[in-house]
Amino acid sequence: MAKEIYKNRIELLQGTLDMLILQTLQWGPQHGYGISQAIRASSGEVLQVETGSLYPALHRLERQKWVESEWRVTESKQKAKYYRITAAGKEQLAENRDRWEQMVAAIGGVLGTDCG
Amino acid sequence: MRWRRKRNELDAEIEAHFRMAVAERVMRGEDEAAARRAVEREIGNVALVKDVAREAWGWVWLERLLQDVRYAVRQLRKSPAFAVTVIATLALGIAAPAAMFTVVDRVMLRPLPYRDAGRLVYINDASQRNEHDYRAGAPYLDLEEWRKWSRSFESIGFFVQANGRNFLEGKTVTEGVAFYKVSANLFGVLGTAPALGRDFRNDPDGFAKNADERSVVISDALWRSMFGGEPNVLGQSVKISGEPYVVVGVMPRGFSFPFDPETPEVWSLAQLGDTDNGRTDGTPLYTVLGRLNSGVRAAQGEAELTTLQKQIAVGYVDPEIRQERSGVWIGSYSGSLVEKDTKRALEMLLAASGVLWLIACVNVTNLLLARAMVRQREVAVRGALGAGRWRIMQQFMAEGLLLSGCGALIGIGLALIAVKLFAGGIKHHLPFPVAIAPDWRMIAGLLLLTVVSALVSSIWPAWMAAHAPIEPALKQGGLQAGNARGQHRMRGVLVVVEIALSLTLLVGCGLLLRTIYALRHVPLGFRTDRIIVANLHIPGYKFGGQNMTHSLYLPLLERAKHLPGVQSAGLMTEVPLGGTFNIHLELKMDASQSPNRKSWKVVSLLKAATPDLQQVFGFKMLAGRFFNQQDTPSSQPVFVVNRAFAREYSPDQQDLSKVIGMKLWHITEGKDAEIVGVLDDMRQSAVAEPSTPEIEASISQITPESGVYKTLEGIAMDLAVRTDRDPKVMIPELREVLRQADPALAGSNFTTMNQVVEDSFGSQRLAAHLLEIFGGSALLLCVAGLYGLLAYVVSQRTRELGVRLALGAQRGDLLWLVLRQASVMLVSGVVIGLGLALASGRVVRSYLYGVSARDGWTLGFVALTLMSIGLLAAYLPARRAAMVNPMEALRAE
Repeated sequence: MAKEIYKNRIELLQGTLDMLILQTLQWGPQHGYGISQAIRASSGEVLQVETGSLYPALHRLERQKWVESEWRVTESKQKAKYYRITAAGKEQLAENRDRWEQMVAAIGGVLGTDCG
Repeated sequence: MRWRRKRNELDAEIEAHFRMAVAERVMRGEDEAAARRAVEREIGNVALVKDVAREAWGWVWLERLLQDVRYAVRQLRKSPAFAVTVIATLALGIAAPAAMFTVVDRVMLRPLPYRDAGRLVYINDASQRNEHDYRAGAPYLDLEEWRKWSRSFESIGFFVQANGRNFLEGKTVTEGVAFYKVSANLFGVLGTAPALGRDFRNDPDGFAKNADERSVVISDALWRSMFGGEPNVLGQSVKISGEPYVVVGVMPRGFSFPFDPETPEVWSLAQLGDTDNGRTDGTPLYTVLGRLNSGVRAAQGEAELTTLQKQIAVGYVDPEIRQERSGVWIGSYSGSLVEKDTKRALEMLLAASGVLWLIACVNVTNLLLARAMVRQREVAVRGALGAGRWRIMQQFMAEGLLLSGCGALIGIGLALIAVKLFAGGIKHHLPFPVAIAPDWRMIAGLLLLTVVSALVSSIWPAWMAAHAPIEPALKQGGLQAGNARGQHRMRGVLVVVEIALSLTLLVGCGLLLRTIYALRHVPLGFRTDRIIVANLHIPGYKFGGQNMTHSLYLPLLERAKHLPGVQSAGLMTEVPLGGTFNIHLELKMDASQSPNRKSWKVVSLLKAATPDLQQVFGFKMLAGRFFNQQDTPSSQPVFVVNRAFAREYSPDQQDLSKVIGMKLWHITEGKDAEIVGVLDDMRQSAVAEPSTPEIEASISQITPESGVYKTLEGIAMDLAVRTDRDPKVMIPELREVLRQADPALAGSNFTTMNQVVEDSFGSQRLAAHLLEIFGGSALLLCVAGLYGLLAYVVSQRTRELGVRLALGAQRGDLLWLVLRQASVMLVSGVVIGLGLALASGRVVRSYLYGVSARDGWTLGFVALTLMSIGLLAAYLPARRAAMVNPMEALRAE
């Protein structure tokens, strides 16, 4: 079923996607579309965040109290929901980063030995 | 709602995302329509996105439940006949136990307004063999010993009802009250104290003897009605039946003792007299109330006091009295409030309502099972699309809950109506008024019943549906797959169970109906139509020293006779079956008159009447005459006796009229009375009880000099009026006549003789009425169940039947095929039911009159009725089976 496919993708990106979103919000409050565009741009068009993963992730982060949201008007006079990272979110991001870097280093180490 | 707002916000958020994405593409130079399409593709399934996002909120289960309920509503709307049947069935099934529970709760479960009421017991003297068929009480000396030596009781108090009718005179009004003389510690034994003012003064010994003798404590209801709830009631002087008292306390609201919330009550201290210092025939008896120590059972208390009483009884000089008072028995206070008979009737009815509930549940299960089978394909499709079994069961259970919820609502309504309808019938048997309004306990009980009935009746079909193999159901004709046969058998078993249970209820109902019929046809010995009876509230204290016959009764009677519409009017100390008062008399008889008897003692019921009574009741004289105007205080004293008396005491058993002319000691000392007439027997205390010997005296011949005058004339007197008008119109006029004679009489109770007879039927009538309803509902349900099953079976076998027809079967054969199936179920149900009915015969036996619990006629009649109605219900589907058009049946598949 289609639903299962979405679910699987979310699970693949889980943690990583959360980290990317939190990182994006470090630069200031942003709406969902803005976040997806920012991730796309900063990854050099490599990472495309699916709507079906983005919004569940945002709502999940909000429930964890890592982000807060409010309705604002965009520059193009549109109403949109802006997300802002919270103090707890910043802590979480730092933690995620550490773990990520450890993992990259570890995996890099393994790959590096192999390449030798 | 927060949830709805959040949903809208999510919609708006995604909408904004969409617009921004489109706007950006348009800015980059794309055509707007193309941009939209591209973004739509990018986002994908919007509904799904929202779904998944919502899942992050953690409320999905609620949403699913709502979905299920909404779906269930849709499903039920599609098949209203099914929904109505199930809801009606459940409503019936829930209403019966709910109504019964309301009554039982009120009567047997509700705690009494005393501290730890379960520890309160009555203590009574009893004979050594522990015979205790009446509440004997005990003399003061005995209870004083109990109080001193027993270890089982925290405290022991006593009380006695003051003689006669009592009236409380305030400054302006007079009201009839129940007046009790109590021991100083009685309120303490009950664990209560006055809410206003003080309790009686207790001497150090615990029992006041003469302190505080003019103090009175009044009930809250009386305080409000007569003193307007003013606190200055304390210290006020009042008169109780002419005696002066001072109000010292008001009991808390709702307090009543002995429990009778309907009557205003007053209490004063019991005064012990010289007679209380002895143990003889004339020693007054008190009702003794004890509070058991916590953890002590009534049986332990009884054992202890019985041992104690053996030693105490030595103090009785008269060997006969000693024998009567050498034991003790204890009865629970709360248990004494409801007659055993009524209590057992209620238990039986509660059980019957439970059986009805069971039948309803079985029926609903059957219906849901049938529906689950019809919907097998739908379930299979959902299963094939990936719905889990749990999810499917959840769906079915949501339907069950929805149905039973509706059933419960209607059930509450029905229960309320039922309680209201029977409140009148119930009132006569119960010490408290039954609340019409449901309380939270009833609501809670009902909710529990609903949930249980929903689960009971939907889990199984749901499980069946969810576990049915998907594949065969999806195939054409899959409904005739293997497990369908097993389900049919199960449903057949359910129908058999229903028939058996219904038969049991119907037999009980039939037996009680025959009992009522027998009771109604007992020859009463008097007419009951168009007679109004007033049970007079006599202010006897106002007539001290006068002859009430002349100063009160005869003038009153004269005025009543002259009211328009009155044909005749008479007075009697108690009308037959009145159940308010009776007096047993022992008289001596001249030995020479009845040589064949060993004892010359005559034991008989005594009543007094006026001559006109015979016209009012139209009773028959077997011999001699009734009283007439010539019977005056100065003439020869006369008695009229009944047939039972003559049978017992007549010198010649062959000729009962020989009793006429016999002389008995008259109730007025020193004079002999002559028996002048024999009345045919009348039912005296209960329709179902045979007559006992009775003597009637002429009211005008009872003078204040005779010993029983005070009891007969000062306490009990009924006015009976035969009228050709509507009793409802007559009652206010009669009340006015009474009020003119004396204001206190205006509070008298009025009823009709028909009502008196009806009331005397006792709990049988109540039980029969309710069982009629239960039995009728059970019959209806079981017929509906049988019909439903057969109709379904026939619809499922249409093709098979078509094939049979095509192969040459006769239509009669098909009819017989279906009827045979019904007969097997009916016969097995009836046989099991008869077994159950015989086994449960013991439960109803004590209510029956004129019919045995194993009455063959009733059993046979009920069985036959059930069989024939069952066959009738089976005939319709059978005929449909026989009418099958073979071509169509075969083509349909």
